Amino acid sequence: MKILNTPGNEQVEEMDKGYDVSRRRFFQLAGGIAGAGLLLSACRRTPPSTTFVGSGDVGLLNFLYIIEQVQAGFYTQAVLTPYYGLNVSESSCLTDTRDQAIAHREYMKKLVGVNAIGTIVLDLSPVTFADRTSTLQNAIILADYAVAGYNGAAQFFSATDFTLAASKIATVQARRSAYMRDLLSYNSFADSTAVDSNGLDLAVSPQTIMLEIQTYIQTKFDISKLPTF
Amino acid sequence: MNFKSILKEIEKTDPEVYERLSDRRHILKSFGSKVAVAALPIALGSLFKKAYGKTTATSDVISALNFALEMEYFEYNFWHTGNSTGGLIPTADAAGFLTIEAHEKAHILFLNTTVTTLGGTPYTPNFYNPLAVNPLYIPAAYDFTAGGAYPNTFDNYPSFLVMAQIFEDTGVHAYKGQIPTLFGNAGILTQAFQIQSVEGRHAAHVRLIRRNAGAAENPAPWISNNIPPPPILTSEPESQFQPFYIGEDNTLQVGGVDITTLPDAYATGGTVPKASATAAFDESMDMVTISALLRPFLL
Repeated sequence: MKILNTPGNEQVEEMDKGYDVSRRRFFQLAGGIAGAGLLLSACRRTPPSTTFVGSGDVGLLNFLYIIEQVQAGFYTQAVLTPYYGLNVSESSCLTDTRDQAIAHREYMKKLVGVNAIGTIVLDLSPVTFADRTSTLQNAIILADYAVAGYNGAAQFFSATDFTLAASKIATVQARRSAYMRDLLSYNSFADSTAVDSNGLDLAVSPQTIMLEIQTYIQTKFDISKLPTF
Repeated sequence: MNFKSILKEIEKTDPEVYERLSDRRHILKSFGSKVAVAALPIALGSLFKKAYGKTTATSDVISALNFALEMEYFEYNFWHTGNSTGGLIPTADAAGFLTIEAHEKAHILFLNTTVTTLGGTPYTPNFYNPLAVNPLYIPAAYDFTAGGAYPNTFDNYPSFLVMAQIFEDTGVHAYKGQIPTLFGNAGILTQAFQIQSVEGRHAAHVRLIRRNAGAAENPAPWISNNIPPPPILTSEPESQFQPFYIGEDNTLQVGGVDITTLPDAYATGGTVPKASATAAFDESMDMVTISALLRPFLL
């Protein structure tokens, strides 16, 4: 901030004196200063490399958009470099799953609209795509995150339509998890690692899922406005 | 577009609008300054739903849960009968089907508790006897051959699997149909989500077994387009099971998005194949439709 505080730039001086500058006033000030971008990034509450996912319905939809970006990226790679021993049936289901994940990703992008976050940078290094077990284990982890994440997010939407959209996709995530589980270990489609003694799937808060799924993402996020419970 | 003037117009029409929401200042804070113009329709839509959306009466929530309970009794009795029928289920598949039966039973008990907690009377099937050894198992209430229309339900494994598939897929559709009623009741809505995803797992498992067994329509674990299983008896029309999948080929999703226009994996202007696009969304069915589908199996 000191760098910008040159004589004659009263607007910046005003800020430096510690006046209680409201958010609106701040943007008015920033708008009048050359090099506002520099000032803005210097004054951000969170590090500049952090992507703010938003709050309310926008934050929730961006949260689901992130889940779908990760899965779409995962299955795109899984189809490009399929695991050793892949049979015809599995190949067809894997490609189908990739296309469904892409449909979900593009659908979420449209639902969030102008407030959609950008394309995130993935880190798929936890996965050995040539290896069947590694691919399926990670597919299961991601599908179960998705089920728990959709289930956890549903209650926070302010519009019924978004909850209904989440509902329509959540069970497809569950079908995917069940399939990948059965491929890895037959009859484990809904075992006790997925479903509790009340016969309920997991419902996990968006913040918690974001912390978990970060393993597969390089981009860092500001998730402070996402619901937690 | 001037957001403040829109709010003013609403104020003129309904002076109590802010009592329905929080207060004007808060709305302006959360919407007015931050929301980009292009996003206003979504933001406004959410706002109006909050203010004017029907507040679901507890009695409607209870009805929805009792309807779910009816579905769960139905499924539990189907699986319990199948799992108890000697020689029907191959050893390799026994454990998975016992898991499903246990889930359906847990769902009955869970929903019973929830309905009771809300002050309602939990649904019970015809011929229910609380003093029976297993009160949840009521063979007198069900005919899973629907008067002989599906004569081999418990005599022939492929037939059993077809019925299992349509019942589990129907369970998924049924819960979705009740989501709008449960909206606004965070706890119960979440539980409905947690149950419906388990039904989705069950359906996927049965569909995979049929796929691996070479079922004629080569089902995937998910529902592509609206393709039903072929009829069990060749004398029946091809479309015998179509009613259970009506609407599953829907391409116009919430938000007015045509999912057949979404870009595909190759970024060369192509779109996601329709079979995958429709498989990516499970559809909902309302109470009347589901009841009509299940009626032939009830005594």
